[in-house]
Amino acid sequence: MEYVVGIILLLSFFGLAYYCIKGHNLMIGFLVITILWTVLPLLGTVFASASFIEANPILQYEGSKGLIKILNSIYQSAPEGWGTTLVNVCWGAWFGRVLMDTGIASTLIRKTVELGGDKPMVTIALLNIVTALIFTAMTGAGPVIAIGVIVLPILMSLGVPKAIAMFSFMGSVAAGIYLNPVNFAQYRAFFIQPDEMPDFTLGWYAAHWGYAALLIMLIATTVLAAIYLKKSKTSHAWAAQSRSGASEQRNAPIYTLILPIVPVVLKIWLDFSVIGGFVIAGFLALFLCGRMKGTFKENCQLVNKLYYDGVVDTAPLVGFLLTLPMFNSVASYASPYFKVILGGVMPKNELVVCIVFAVLLCMGLFRGPMTLVGCGAATLGVLSNVASFSVPFLYAVFAIPTITVNIGSCITQSWVAWGLAYTKVESKDFLKLSIPNAYLTGVLQYVAAFILLGGLGAAWFI
Amino acid sequence: MTKQELQKALEPIAQGLFGKQGIRRYERPHFPLRSLETMLKDLTEIPQEEWFAYVFSREPLNGKFQDDQRRRWMEQSIACGREYGRRICQEYSLSTPSELAKAMGMKVTYPTYPEKTDRVLFAEFREPDDIRIYMDGVKKAKKFLERPEISSILGKLEVSELLLAHELFHYVEEKYKKEIYTRREKIRLWSLGPLHNDSTIIALSEIAAMAFARELVKLPYAPYVMDVFLVYGYSPEEASGLYEEMMEFAGRTPCAPEERKDVE
Repeated sequence: MEYVVGIILLLSFFGLAYYCIKGHNLMIGFLVITILWTVLPLLGTVFASASFIEANPILQYEGSKGLIKILNSIYQSAPEGWGTTLVNVCWGAWFGRVLMDTGIASTLIRKTVELGGDKPMVTIALLNIVTALIFTAMTGAGPVIAIGVIVLPILMSLGVPKAIAMFSFMGSVAAGIYLNPVNFAQYRAFFIQPDEMPDFTLGWYAAHWGYAALLIMLIATTVLAAIYLKKSKTSHAWAAQSRSGASEQRNAPIYTLILPIVPVVLKIWLDFSVIGGFVIAGFLALFLCGRMKGTFKENCQLVNKLYYDGVVDTAPLVGFLLTLPMFNSVASYASPYFKVILGGVMPKNELVVCIVFAVLLCMGLFRGPMTLVGCGAATLGVLSNVASFSVPFLYAVFAIPTITVNIGSCITQSWVAWGLAYTKVESKDFLKLSIPNAYLTGVLQYVAAFILLGGLGAAWFI
Repeated sequence: MTKQELQKALEPIAQGLFGKQGIRRYERPHFPLRSLETMLKDLTEIPQEEWFAYVFSREPLNGKFQDDQRRRWMEQSIACGREYGRRICQEYSLSTPSELAKAMGMKVTYPTYPEKTDRVLFAEFREPDDIRIYMDGVKKAKKFLERPEISSILGKLEVSELLLAHELFHYVEEKYKKEIYTRREKIRLWSLGPLHNDSTIIALSEIAAMAFARELVKLPYAPYVMDVFLVYGYSPEEASGLYEEMMEFAGRTPCAPEERKDVE
């Protein structure tokens, strides 16, 4: 009977992959699959062989009390546990809004362009570095759009073809996200509870793989942009841009331009609280840029408005991310059945995992079965339960298709979709540039993951 | 309950379960509406030299310049555009942009290409000889020009010819890149001992292209007016925002927003 349940679960996994690729609602998709994966494994225990139940203590529960305990752990404790991550997301979004409102982000971009001048390649390289730095602290569609409306017209006015400008900008945003504390906390919660494995901090992750991942993506994107640019023809366009993007010329004092990286530096260097870093750097930015010169009431309103706008930036993902912990939890109950079906074929060796994931990187596109912000959460549920890998290694294995492929290269990413409409780049033209980058970057990052995170000791296993 | 009523009642549930992801899309900014006629009237009265602040607001290096520099560059670039306009017409003994493009061997295409964002693309030149005039905006503009109150302000205007003339300048500029003012005028961005970075100013090229186009089509006002005119076909709100910005940059007061019923 366990084989029948296993096959039905496997079919439902492919059904979920199809559902995600078609672009349907992720929150509802994962909620439905969570319910299905709760019912099938628990109902399966009634019909499964005694030896199967005996070999899997997780499926052994006593009466209705035991059943309710399992259900509570799936539908109550799991999303509650994710609450601590959500708090980081909200403060990060507020900080992103502060950097935009004070003009720090836009000043940083403009000063960078003033170094490069009319040399497109120099300017692209400098802008990629600065964009990546900015997005180590900022995240969400709002900040990407706010920076995009500055960076993209600048690149296009330098004669950079719009598809290359788009690809280069989106790639460097994704590169920065490799060190973003909010994204780190968000993805870490897919693998372990926030209070589990306290040594797996942003600082540890950055030192062991994060810096390498960021640099690989940044360098690969810039080198590919240079190659594409060399092959392409310079273009000049007559276009009109509404005042939203072009006229936000608030100049921030030079010394405040260091503030975007303060929370990340504090976190990595001193393991200082991420939220503490956001609060310190955020209020410093507001005071030093003269945004707190109003009355107490006006200042309160400004801080509140920025918080509101920031939270709205992240709102679309919150429902999905609060449903995922339920799914992550329920996956452990489904895993014994998957083991029966896939135990023999799922890769158990780190090198094989790296090779298989590198080959299948394209399945991180269109919310496919490799990206954590798509159906990849289900793949993680299956992989982590049928084989044993260290948490940092598994994190890197899934971060690559999530960040490099989905966030940096896929047209289903909300801000990439915005960029396509904004620059008038055809989806296929963008994908022609971004998919080679996804593969080049992804393969190099898997090599780095295998070398730097392979063979970690028992302390890094759950 | 009829079948249609049942379908309608179930639609929100079906959308919630199987609908597309409810990702919050980027919302474009909102501006008070103004009538096209009033905006065009105000903008056509701005002398070409007074557009410098608007033009340079789109220049990546604008933060490094002072107003007197901008004004001087504006005047010199306009002179350059006019001079090359006359020179090219004489050289080919032709005067219309489409005839000149043909004589120069340019590949001119007229794709439709609909635009609906806060950056509206009108025309493009791709090296070495490819010009695209996006006709979606041009067709919308033609409809407005059929109205007497608009044509009386803008006069006899062939928008596609104006756009073509502008893009032709970029070809001319490339051809004469060693001698043309817009490529020879440079500023030093930084220097470190023997190392330094000198850069051309992109805005100069655009200013000269506008002056060149104006010379070729004998336009009585600055072609920057087209930014508002062509954007209006896509979004009257954004055209109004752009108008406000242009007027402020020219040191003028924008006209008051009008009642909705007065606006097309």
